[in-house]
Amino acid sequence: MSAAAALIPVRTGLARIGPEEVGILADFSQAFAASLDVGETLRKAVVQIADHMNAEAAAVFLTDPQAGDIVCRACAGPVDVVGLRVQAGRGIVGRTIAENRVQMVRDTRNDPDYLGDQRGFQSRSILCAPLDTADGAIGALQVLNKRDGALFDTHDANVLRLLAVPTALALNNARLMRELVEQNRIKREFQLARQMQKTLLPARRHNFPITALNLPAREISGDFFDFFDLPDGRIAFCIGDVAGKGMDAALLMVRASSCLRWVGKDGTAPGEWLSKVNRELASTVTRGMFVCAVAGYYDPHTSMIELANAGFPPLLLRRGDQTMRELRADGPPLGILGDFGYSSESMALAGGCLYAFSDGVTDVRGADRKPIGMEGVRQLIDRVSGLSPRARVRAMVGTLRKMSLADDTTLMLIADDGAASRYLGGLAGSSDPENLRLVRRKVSEVVKQLGFNDEQRQRIVLAIDEAVANVIRHAYQGCYDGRVELSVWLDHDAVRFELRDYAQPVDPAKIKPRDLSECRPGGLGINLIDSVMDRWVFQRPEDGTGNLLTMIKRLP
Amino acid sequence: MSDVNDCSTVDQLGVRLLRVRGEVDLSWSQKLRKAVLEALATGRHVAIDLSQVSYIDSSGIAALVEGFQNSRGKSQRFSLVAVSKPVHAVLELARLDRVFPIFATLEDAVK
Repeated sequence: MSAAAALIPVRTGLARIGPEEVGILADFSQAFAASLDVGETLRKAVVQIADHMNAEAAAVFLTDPQAGDIVCRACAGPVDVVGLRVQAGRGIVGRTIAENRVQMVRDTRNDPDYLGDQRGFQSRSILCAPLDTADGAIGALQVLNKRDGALFDTHDANVLRLLAVPTALALNNARLMRELVEQNRIKREFQLARQMQKTLLPARRHNFPITALNLPAREISGDFFDFFDLPDGRIAFCIGDVAGKGMDAALLMVRASSCLRWVGKDGTAPGEWLSKVNRELASTVTRGMFVCAVAGYYDPHTSMIELANAGFPPLLLRRGDQTMRELRADGPPLGILGDFGYSSESMALAGGCLYAFSDGVTDVRGADRKPIGMEGVRQLIDRVSGLSPRARVRAMVGTLRKMSLADDTTLMLIADDGAASRYLGGLAGSSDPENLRLVRRKVSEVVKQLGFNDEQRQRIVLAIDEAVANVIRHAYQGCYDGRVELSVWLDHDAVRFELRDYAQPVDPAKIKPRDLSECRPGGLGINLIDSVMDRWVFQRPEDGTGNLLTMIKRLP
Repeated sequence: MSDVNDCSTVDQLGVRLLRVRGEVDLSWSQKLRKAVLEALATGRHVAIDLSQVSYIDSSGIAALVEGFQNSRGKSQRFSLVAVSKPVHAVLELARLDRVFPIFATLEDAVK
């Protein structure tokens, strides 16, 4: 044996491969390497294989793990068997794949595994080689009946084995590519689902007593929160955590949050609110899934909170005197015991702040690798308490992010300790002129308690109506589906109206009163605002989107 | 005063009289504007009865200003009659109370 031959381990059978085989092998490998369509290349390849092996027919079978069988993907010969399915492990093909070894059947009549003629084709002798990959055999390459009536021999078996190599390689690459495409598709779907979920969360509201944030651990989240105004001036809120983190949790989150909003709109007492949602979820939710949630109302006029807690982590109430109170759940999570009656609990916020957070917050691991727990959250709250509510949320999330966030994390603050000013009420809605009537009612009602006389009150109502009408006409240019938010604040000697939109920024320089001595129809609104209010400022909001008009009227 | 926003035109004492009722704001001031311009298309003297208007904003005032301007130079008359207190307050605020011919009644307007 020469030195060169000793270096290359050559199986005995392969030693007789001649230049002809090397040629077809090279053609084959090149065809697959250059191919963009493996299916098409495969169809050409089986014809070449049949010719080269001098066989009546050739076929490529691939396993279909989902269906649990083996299916013919390409064939050459008198009968088309593409699409033919064989149960895994059955037939000569099944045996080849199961044993991952070349099978040579010289006479099918003597082979117990032979499944009989397929679609009228009589197989007398069969040679079948596995398509081997790192993950095992993914299929088999088969040739049937030598054309001259001779039998397949060891040389044929070796050639077929050789040809199976580039075929397996190409098919495996195609399979991996398909999986990659599928993974990308799923990723895109998840991104869409995340966007969809985000739209379910209420938009952040400027100068509003409730500030909340959701950080999903993955693309989609099982956590949610919501808040919305009731016609009587109270603010309804809820925060929840669905068991699990996958798509099933995300879908249940959508269902639970819409269910909570639906029931909460009626102003139902929190205990009854959760009981109703619980009945609904318990009757429809898959066994083993549940939702932890808090639901309640905040009345900005009295600063009273009424809430109920279904299995959600304890809430922390930090009072004005800096003492902290823990409010524990009074019932199990929603969706488990359909007939459970939850009870409501009331408390005065009075200069304090209520913190609600999902278990993603308490489960964050600190420097010692242990969850920070309620004690860690208390310390975190103490540290940030001097800041404005928005800055507090930012600081808390910033700190949590530096530790290891493993779960969905959601945080909600209801603050009565935000600033010297008191929130008197507000309204959020679409830029539909039909809503102007509601705006006037709301403003009239809020201003009533401040001691203005009827005439002053009517003028204030007019000014705000004009401001909102300007947003509809100029900022949203008559589109009715823009968002408009009005919040009313009591500073120590004045009432402050903040009107926020999310339209294209308007140049503040263009907002100025016109000369009233010229008589023309348009552009009166700003004049009216200017003469009614003591001061007004038009600016870009701090978060950079839309416009903010602040109007200030001194108390009588 | 009724909550229903509405305007209707009648001929009375030789005047085309447009009776407006409700709260005139951006949601329907275009309708008022059309009604004013239609009345001006045929009537020689157009009067707007504002006694049943509980609220008017600048878009409603703009409709009245446009009517007033159209009437001038066409030897047409354009009057506001029985102006309600809330409307008067807004006219004052916009300093238009001395621009419009304002009459307590329709009879006063035709004198």
